[in-house]
Amino acid sequence: MRKRLYVVSSGRLRRRQNTLVLVGEQGNRYFPIEQIEEIHVFGEVDLNKRLLEFLTRQHILLHFYNYRGYYVGTYYPREHYNSGYMILRQAEHYMDEAKRLDLARRFVKGALFNLYKVVRYYRNRGKPLEDIELSLVQHRSRLDDIRDIAALMQAEGQARNAYYAAFDKILEKPDFAFEQRSRRPPRNRINALISFGNSLLYTAVLSEIYRTHLDPRIGFLHATNFRRFTLNLDVAEVFKPALVDRVIFTLVSKDQIKASDFNEELNGLYLNDRGRRVFLEAWEKRLKSTFYHRGLKRNITYRRAIRLELYKLEKHFMDEKAYIPFRLRW
Amino acid sequence: MRDALVCSVLRMPDRITGTLVWYAMICEREVWLMAHELEPDRDDARLEWGRFLGQMSYPRSRKREINLPGMKLDIVERHGARIVVGEIKSSSRFVEATRMQMLFYLWRLRESGVEAEGELRFPQERRRMRIVLDASAEADLLRVIERVRAIMQQPFPPPAKRITYCRSCAYREFCWSDDPEE
Repeated sequence: MRKRLYVVSSGRLRRRQNTLVLVGEQGNRYFPIEQIEEIHVFGEVDLNKRLLEFLTRQHILLHFYNYRGYYVGTYYPREHYNSGYMILRQAEHYMDEAKRLDLARRFVKGALFNLYKVVRYYRNRGKPLEDIELSLVQHRSRLDDIRDIAALMQAEGQARNAYYAAFDKILEKPDFAFEQRSRRPPRNRINALISFGNSLLYTAVLSEIYRTHLDPRIGFLHATNFRRFTLNLDVAEVFKPALVDRVIFTLVSKDQIKASDFNEELNGLYLNDRGRRVFLEAWEKRLKSTFYHRGLKRNITYRRAIRLELYKLEKHFMDEKAYIPFRLRW
Repeated sequence: MRDALVCSVLRMPDRITGTLVWYAMICEREVWLMAHELEPDRDDARLEWGRFLGQMSYPRSRKREINLPGMKLDIVERHGARIVVGEIKSSSRFVEATRMQMLFYLWRLRESGVEAEGELRFPQERRRMRIVLDASAEADLLRVIERVRAIMQQPFPPPAKRITYCRSCAYREFCWSDDPEE
């Protein structure tokens, strides 16, 4: 199983012969290239074109984040899975309005179903979430009547707001009050965690898209301008409740992340180095955790579930089988 | 709505390869997917093992890996006037498919004026098998080629069917990604 490399410290990332080395203050650390799937750079890292050429040959993506942990961009090597057939099919589903709306609605439905499952999970553990559960069910039942994508996104936003009200009731930690969703900058700790987790999920999905025949620039729910990656945002909606939110609930309720793991600056709050390390560790653990897949008849990791989701999309584009989003099974 | 333009671009060129012939003997769905450039997961452990085996076996065979349109010959050797092409496989489990793939190579070589014989090699079993393109073998091959052509031209892939090969196939996650209860 290949690993993801998170570079949190600073230094110089280089190719040395046929392996990867991080030259830092504490000396050199070597990483066998065959074992690396993708690289996430959080620290101040220097690199050169020779390294990019090497990573291209090895088909490794390089994701960059700024010092606040915001996603900056990705070095996406030239495509190595290429199928003119699949690109045309994907584009066809974008250009045909009915098909695009249908697929966008499927993403939202999948997302809402999983939000509902998370709420239900905590309700079964005695949290007072009846109202929120009911409201999510209602939001979901209205989706079929929606006729355009803007309204679909709006409905998704409303459902998500209803869902966010569950955070305070689940966590019951004054240091981690949710209040309301704030993005740039995140105005409190829980918002900082959500933003950070979502960035990690977007890049994780993007890395999986690279290993399929899909084009990450053609999204369906999120607007496409053919310059940004958007398909990963669509697919991420389905997985946010299962991956990002669950990691947050675990870290906060077990006090693994504390108020002191954040720095305050420019009206915003951001995870500091220690907090980021703790989050990355929990994130990695979550991606590697497994569940039983009924189609494959064996256990697979959540990471693999993201890839399977993309295969399901390919089959949707081929008009072979309509896409049914991943469902949490608890 | 499927427009005529999209339709004409989607039509596959009539390009048959040795790999497609091999697949035709095992799984028709795989033929269709491969023909539409939907290659399987390249990080699949078995594919990696096959590549490794091809590279590491028979270090003394000099002319190795020759790429020609629609075929990739693992080994090409000259023994006096005879030319022997070899195909390396990790096991003889699908020997009939491998034989057909080899016949296809021999047939294509004959078309371009090269008379060769074939040898299937199973390094882990320390086994070799000689393959000759005679009249009856040629008739078998032509039937398979016709079938490959027919599969390629279908608008949709043949549906997934569970067979014993699924277990070791690099397409297994593609074919079985759906939750059967949905």
